[in-house]
Amino acid sequence: MDINVRKRGSAQLIQLRGALRMGPAVDGLRQTIEETLGNGDTRLILNLAEVPMIDSSGIGLVVRFLASTKQRGGNLKLVQPSKFAIQTLRLVGVLNLFEIFDNDDAAIASFT
Amino acid sequence: MPADLTDNNPGGDLSELLNLTVPADLNSVDTITDAIAANLESLQVPEQKRLEIGLAVQEALVNAVVHGCKGDPSKHVTCRMDVDPSGRILIMVSDPGPGFDVERLPDPKQPERTHHDHGRGVYLIRQLMDDVRFERGGRQIRMWKY
Repeated sequence: MDINVRKRGSAQLIQLRGALRMGPAVDGLRQTIEETLGNGDTRLILNLAEVPMIDSSGIGLVVRFLASTKQRGGNLKLVQPSKFAIQTLRLVGVLNLFEIFDNDDAAIASFT
Repeated sequence: MPADLTDNNPGGDLSELLNLTVPADLNSVDTITDAIAANLESLQVPEQKRLEIGLAVQEALVNAVVHGCKGDPSKHVTCRMDVDPSGRILIMVSDPGPGFDVERLPDPKQPERTHHDHGRGVYLIRQLMDDVRFERGGRQIRMWKY
């Protein structure tokens, strides 16, 4: 999985490309988010437009960090999850935990 | 009732498309999921169904590798894929581990478990596939997609 992080407004935008599943993808995203939180950034946006699938490990990761960011006064928001990713999140009952946006700008603006 | 795949009736009215025994590591999971994806595409299975089967297989294989084999690549996981004449897909994953009691798995949708970072794999498999059976004390899963 390719992971790209850049500062946008008051948030860190994390762009992902590839399946978010157990293994290097989940490990990489975990490390990335931990580093971001370690830098004091608690407003995170995950752009999932190029993520065709999220497995239960990936779901566990984003749910865990949603809780972590909120505990620190921030949030973790999602941009453009695929139809199948939305279905998967809904199936395990966590879809409604997340704020979901159609594009990066809307997600960034939501933090102000 | 779909035809059962048993060791004593490996054919029956089922056509075997894949039968792989691989070391228990995550690279092997990718190898098998890629092979299954290719088979599903050859069968012209609709995309939505391909995604659902692919994710269920991913979950079953990871469970076999991580829980069944404790990530020990000296152990092996087996995956088999068959199709029946009406196009129904049967996938079986087995591991040599200690097994588990699937009935004792907690419900990941309980409110107190919402923010847990694990424990959703079996639940997800049951949502994605049409018929799921655990056999051999939890060491084998048989999943149908109609």
